Amino acid sequence: MEKKKYKSKKLSERISLVMVYAFLIIISLIWLIPFLVLIILSFRGEQVGISADYLFPKHWSFGNYIKLFTKTKFLRWYGNTMLVSVVVTIIQTVIVLMTSYALSRLRFKLRKPLMNLMLILGMFPGFLSMTAVYFVLKELNLTQNLFGLILVFTASSAMQYYICKGFFDTIPKSLDEAARIDGASRHTVFLKIILPLAKPIIIYTILTAFIAPWGEFMFSSFMLKGDDDKFTVAVGMKSWLDNSTLMAEGYFTVFCAAAVVVSIPITALFIWLQRYYVEGITGGSVKG
Amino acid sequence: MAEVSLKHIYKVYPNGTKAVSDFNMEIADKEFIVFVGPSGCGKSTTLRMIAGLEDVSAGELKIGGLVVNDMEPKDRDIAMVFQNYALYPHMTVYENIAFGLRLKKLPKDEIHKRVTEAAEILGITEYLNKKPKEMSGGQRQRVALGRAIVREPKVMLLDEPLSNLDAKLRTQMRAEISKLHTKLQTTFVYVTHDQVEAMTMGTRIVVMKDGFVQQIDTPKNLYNYPENKFVASFIGTPQMNFFDAKLLKTGNEVKILFDGTDAEISVPYPSLYKIIPDYLDGKTPVVIGLRAEDISLAPAAKKGKNVIKVAVSHKEELGNETLVYGNLYTTDGAAETAPVILKDTADIAVNAGDIAEVTLNLGKIRIFDKQTERSVLPRIPEYNYLDCTVKGGNIKLLGAELALPEALSCADGKYTLLVPVNAVNFDGGIKAEVVSREDVNGVTLLALTAGGKRVWAVGGDFAEGAEVNIGVDFKKITVMSDGETVFSPMPGLNEIDCNFVKRKFVETAEVNGKSKRKKVIRFGFETDGKFFEVPDDVSRKIFNALGVKKALSSPFKLQLGLYGLTVAESGIVATVEKVLNFGAEKFLKCTVGGREIFVGTDADREGEVCLAPDFLNAGVVDPKRDIKII
Repeated sequence: MEKKKYKSKKLSERISLVMVYAFLIIISLIWLIPFLVLIILSFRGEQVGISADYLFPKHWSFGNYIKLFTKTKFLRWYGNTMLVSVVVTIIQTVIVLMTSYALSRLRFKLRKPLMNLMLILGMFPGFLSMTAVYFVLKELNLTQNLFGLILVFTASSAMQYYICKGFFDTIPKSLDEAARIDGASRHTVFLKIILPLAKPIIIYTILTAFIAPWGEFMFSSFMLKGDDDKFTVAVGMKSWLDNSTLMAEGYFTVFCAAAVVVSIPITALFIWLQRYYVEGITGGSVKG
Repeated sequence: MAEVSLKHIYKVYPNGTKAVSDFNMEIADKEFIVFVGPSGCGKSTTLRMIAGLEDVSAGELKIGGLVVNDMEPKDRDIAMVFQNYALYPHMTVYENIAFGLRLKKLPKDEIHKRVTEAAEILGITEYLNKKPKEMSGGQRQRVALGRAIVREPKVMLLDEPLSNLDAKLRTQMRAEISKLHTKLQTTFVYVTHDQVEAMTMGTRIVVMKDGFVQQIDTPKNLYNYPENKFVASFIGTPQMNFFDAKLLKTGNEVKILFDGTDAEISVPYPSLYKIIPDYLDGKTPVVIGLRAEDISLAPAAKKGKNVIKVAVSHKEELGNETLVYGNLYTTDGAAETAPVILKDTADIAVNAGDIAEVTLNLGKIRIFDKQTERSVLPRIPEYNYLDCTVKGGNIKLLGAELALPEALSCADGKYTLLVPVNAVNFDGGIKAEVVSREDVNGVTLLALTAGGKRVWAVGGDFAEGAEVNIGVDFKKITVMSDGETVFSPMPGLNEIDCNFVKRKFVETAEVNGKSKRKKVIRFGFETDGKFFEVPDDVSRKIFNALGVKKALSSPFKLQLGLYGLTVAESGIVATVEKVLNFGAEKFLKCTVGGREIFVGTDADREGEVCLAPDFLNAGVVDPKRDIKII
């Protein structure tokens, strides 16, 4: 009797495991297929338009990649995007870490209302304020300008404090107090005690800060319209899609090659920092 | 190495919760002070205020003679050990210990020397290159101690450092911390909720409850002379036994009548000389306290006499001794009677369900008021209760006849005087003999006999058997007749209502030979429409306690001694009601804004007088929050 019960439990466990894996494989395929199609298309040698009714290329070639780097402004756009993303990442990471530390450790008047206000404001989609921000920047002569873009992307950095503050909250306050008694100023406590312990959340902040401007399209297209030397990759590539002549000339496969190149830094970053990323999110939200 | 002084220390949170109320203590250099009390009693908050991790709401905190209220923790020259060790997890043990020294920018050789020395003292040399997570709780606590001692602080603060350790390790670390104190010869302030830790480690213990200090004394005195029922119950394992009872004085004996039973025990009155006489009427409820070791099973010869009966519920045999648990036995079978725990030798023949007769060690009896829970058998009695006769302007007291001061003019008759022990002086006309002397926390208490009566006095340095002439400071006594107060003592403090205000003045100053007019702002107290400027120190303390806005809009109470107000040409206008003549001293009883004020004077005065307050020695109270700021 006992044995039978044990067996049936094992069987049901196995069935549920099979079902879970089957589900996960299907989800992964759905998620991966567009990306695989993109990679395959980027190697298509023949010049056909967007509407070709077959997937695998008739002859494989690196031609699209060569064309991408030699005959288009892609490399410049790539540089622009990299510049904006790196600068935004640095500024945003510093601001987020400092804001989160202050909100986690310092007690000042209106701290809670400020935190709530930032949280609520952060819930509104950014495009609501797009037109207003555009006109302000235009008055300041900052449109069609990468600095303007950096300014806009970093302006609301402090609103990303929430997860990071949650992580800081899990670091015992007695560490700060012990360090302060040991002779450390707030500044030293932050740099020498808190930051070394906050590696996962720093990585998480860097990743999120990098990804957002790297793939951002809507605001950049608004801001940079008209000057294709200032384009970011997203804006530039969209301009190809909008140009029917280019598409007819077989630029769709070049577009695919560009998309693959764009995904490389993010994929590499993710693979490299994956374990910290997961630790960062759970460390901040669950333990807190 | 330094002494720590806490004067009227308060911690009040913005929502009005008082975590610490009027904490006063002088901690001597090299003392090992333990703060003990249940959770939420304010002990850790007080320690954190000393450390500078919490702001002091009001009061004055000094370390090594320096006021440190507004000083950063790092500048206070203290070190602290935390309950959760608070080691920096990303640093090795060596780096953890060296962290503070590196911040001080000490030379590398010096840091290395100090770290290795500390590691040797604490036996952690072999772990210096390990990270805290690779170590056990006891080792981590040693590292935390190491980090504290390398800084060679003036004061070591320890916040429940052993509560995360298991029982065996705790006992071991307790001994090590005590040894460390002896070795380092530094002032230690230690917080714990464990009374065993407190009793075994402290040179003096501060027992706290609900933010208030209950008693500050040596472990032995706390155990033997608890000032209230809380201290009595908190200190000692097993807990002290408490029995509701009434006391009745008959002749030279005091009968203890236990509530709910017919048990009755007699105590010779001389052993209860210090008791407040009001409690001996057989009606006032009291609580009798006796420790488990002071109750034992009655030997056969003593049975039936001066014993109480206990219904035994169970016993715990601990090998060398036995703890017997039960309840006071009642003949009427009442279910709810006082629980009793007694400690006896290992080989006692008593079992659960037995009705055992027990004897009490009456020399160790403690008596508490049932309502206030304060001891009614204090080590230093508050008052002497003396009978006297007044006749024709003279008073017959303790076998002597003295002239009655004019201020006390009473009708002829018999009275009872409540004479505080500090109102008995040694330059009067009453002959007395010193029966015994006792040192109570640095105060010499003399037991005297005068006119066949027991009199308590403090402050005199006389040997036992010496004959002395004593007198009474009449301004401190209460005169009673048939339970009614005929004369109340002069209050120790005068209270004046006032506001703290800012005033602008135009002053002329000489600059390069030219006189220039400039506006200056002064702070001071305003009462009765008069402004009295205060020293900067006073205004700083008030602003620290309340903040500028609140300080300038809140009412205050000034507390001034009997000589804190003097008759002057200008000042607070007071109306003289009466001149109180005590012979050597004279006082004016005045009224100011409906309040009674007493002022020392040389000459008789009447009508209106002006009083000048002495702010340097004045107390300042915030009546809204009931906080003594100065």
